[in-house]
Amino acid sequence: MLESLETAMFYCLVIACTVCMLLYWVRLGSKKEFVGRLATFFTIIAVIVNTVAIILRMVTSGHPPLSNGYEFLLTFCLGIMAVYLYAEFRYKLRSLGAFVMPIPFFLLMFIIMTMGPEERIAQAVPPALKSQWLTFHVVTAMFAYGAFAVSFGLGLMYLLKLSKEDNGYTSSPQGIVSRFPALEVLDALAYKVVGFAFPLLTLCIITGAIWADYAWGTYWSWDPKETWSLITWIIYAGYLHARLMYGWRGKRAAWMAVFGFAAVLFTFFGVNYFLPGLHSYAQ
Amino acid sequence: MVESSKGLIDRLWSTFSSMKLGLALLGIIAFVAGIGTIIPQSEQDPEKAKAVGQLWQTMGFTHLYNTVGFRLLLGFLCINLIVCTIQRLRGIYHRTFNLTPPLSLARVPQKNRMELQGELEPLREAIQEVVKQKGYRFTHIGQTDSWSFIAVKHRLGNWGSLITHLSFVVLVIGALLGSVLGFKGYLMEGAGSTIPIQAIQLSKGAVSETFSVRINSAEDRMLPNGERDNWYTNLSILENGQEVARKTLSVNHPFVYEGITFYQASFSKGAHFSVDMNGQIIPVVLQDQGQSYFQAPGTDLYLVTTIDPSSSAQKPDVLYQVYQGNGADPIQSGKLTSLQTVDVQGKYKLTLDGLVGFSGLQVKKDPGVAVIWLGCAMLIGGLLLAFYWQPVVLSGIFQAENGRQGTLTVGALSGKVTVSTREALEQFVNSVTKLLR
Repeated sequence: MLESLETAMFYCLVIACTVCMLLYWVRLGSKKEFVGRLATFFTIIAVIVNTVAIILRMVTSGHPPLSNGYEFLLTFCLGIMAVYLYAEFRYKLRSLGAFVMPIPFFLLMFIIMTMGPEERIAQAVPPALKSQWLTFHVVTAMFAYGAFAVSFGLGLMYLLKLSKEDNGYTSSPQGIVSRFPALEVLDALAYKVVGFAFPLLTLCIITGAIWADYAWGTYWSWDPKETWSLITWIIYAGYLHARLMYGWRGKRAAWMAVFGFAAVLFTFFGVNYFLPGLHSYAQ
Repeated sequence: MVESSKGLIDRLWSTFSSMKLGLALLGIIAFVAGIGTIIPQSEQDPEKAKAVGQLWQTMGFTHLYNTVGFRLLLGFLCINLIVCTIQRLRGIYHRTFNLTPPLSLARVPQKNRMELQGELEPLREAIQEVVKQKGYRFTHIGQTDSWSFIAVKHRLGNWGSLITHLSFVVLVIGALLGSVLGFKGYLMEGAGSTIPIQAIQLSKGAVSETFSVRINSAEDRMLPNGERDNWYTNLSILENGQEVARKTLSVNHPFVYEGITFYQASFSKGAHFSVDMNGQIIPVVLQDQGQSYFQAPGTDLYLVTTIDPSSSAQKPDVLYQVYQGNGADPIQSGKLTSLQTVDVQGKYKLTLDGLVGFSGLQVKKDPGVAVIWLGCAMLIGGLLLAFYWQPVVLSGIFQAENGRQGTLTVGALSGKVTVSTREALEQFVNSVTKLLR
């Protein structure tokens, strides 16, 4: 019964996510605020059903949703949408939805296209995964990755607006980018979001190290997942340093935000699927 | 000579105090670390690492993270961080504890400035009220025609970046302590076995301790729903044959004795036998699948056993094989049921007592772990200070124009985000203006 309800919630999530993504795109083109409000409404629905799906999974499996790739991806989607919604309300930035919401949409499509029902069912967790540290590890990863997705969206918006302005579309009040905030605001927001996410990513790596020390007796083993999370961390550390010390703002900072999120995706997907190691259970 | 060595030190100092060098080192470390995730590493996958070409192995590509080159990179990064820290210490101290009100208009931050017109006394009172409300630390100088102030909030945030950078040095020291003074090993023993700590298989370091470890019980516990609960090992520490500590450990719940930590790493099955050699009974515990053997004292007979997979799970049988010397083929083999006894080559009698669990324990001594956790705490504390506790500095100067009337110029000097700085300044000026109305 609960399993069926969870499956229903998953498909409701797919529908809500698809609809809100399309509505954000329509709003970008039509500039109708009603469409924007509808998009936000569907995003809230998506967050609610995603949360319910995760809670149902936790109830049926009896453990946090961390035992396989499907559960991790659901958690990742929730992190992205939750951080996005916060950014939309906090900074009144609805245009961002058109750039961020495709990410959870593609993650859900990835689940549908690559994971069969047997891969989506709740599985028994090995003893090593029965740790509260793992819960902290994944929760911090969820919000950090979610915030990096938002900074990626802001980076894309910056680059798009910049390219239009470079092409002489500055004065066009009808252009898609006309409702984007000023370049300076987009740049500062991206920095703020990375500044919010970076300590969380650090906490994620540290809680992972503490957990690994309890479980395997080694806090750092240069496992591919650990190493790639360190590489992602270094990329964002480079972003922050280059910005502060060498004035890498604007275009270069936007590209780094995009590049950094590519590293996040590789750490999340690439390592799980191409570079096996201690985290291979996450497949 | 003295001058040239001074010049060299200056050049080295200047090189290592460069942020560019730090960033370049970070980039190279990331690149090299990335290569290590593509080429199999001997620590994680020894079999695949051995299959990599000999030239690559010789060049260190299969143990990248332990190469001198990689350690040198980390060492250079540490030096860079220490030099940068020393260089920035004074400025940070000054920004935290020695900020003084501006003595001239030129000392008020110019990027973010706002002006307020009015009489000095009400302006001063309003500003003092607002800084108090908003939790700023406040200092002012001057009285009548000239007055200036400085208000600081979250001043400890200045230390965030420095603490973060220093934490790396602490982390590297912790890792060094662990690798120089610690050891890492493994033991796989059946319930009822005792092993001296110095006899475990070591992968790193050396053991100086002399106690023994007895596995009292090893259990693969399942939940009612059929899922694995955990592997449990009840373990005793023996000093001179006397039990001095006893604990049940499981995965994620290690046991620490005198700085040595025992981690439940794996579990295997085996069987417990009694060997009767001319009336002397020797208890023997052998791991399943022939992963351990028994050599009867004074013979060249080797016994290995396997739990019969075709027998019942409740009362399993054990298949045994006896080898002689270096012979590849067994000279005796057969099946034993519970409590059954067989004669082995007329040398001894073997009785199957029952099945036992075998516990695989990771054993580690790492005096650097506490330092590592200190480094982690510094790292996260520093980042929280740097990003969630950013200092805000507001300063202003009042310049009288017509008697008591004048202009108060207020500026904000804030860390990293100009938009937030502007917001902080605007909020401050708005609050003052409201109070003045």
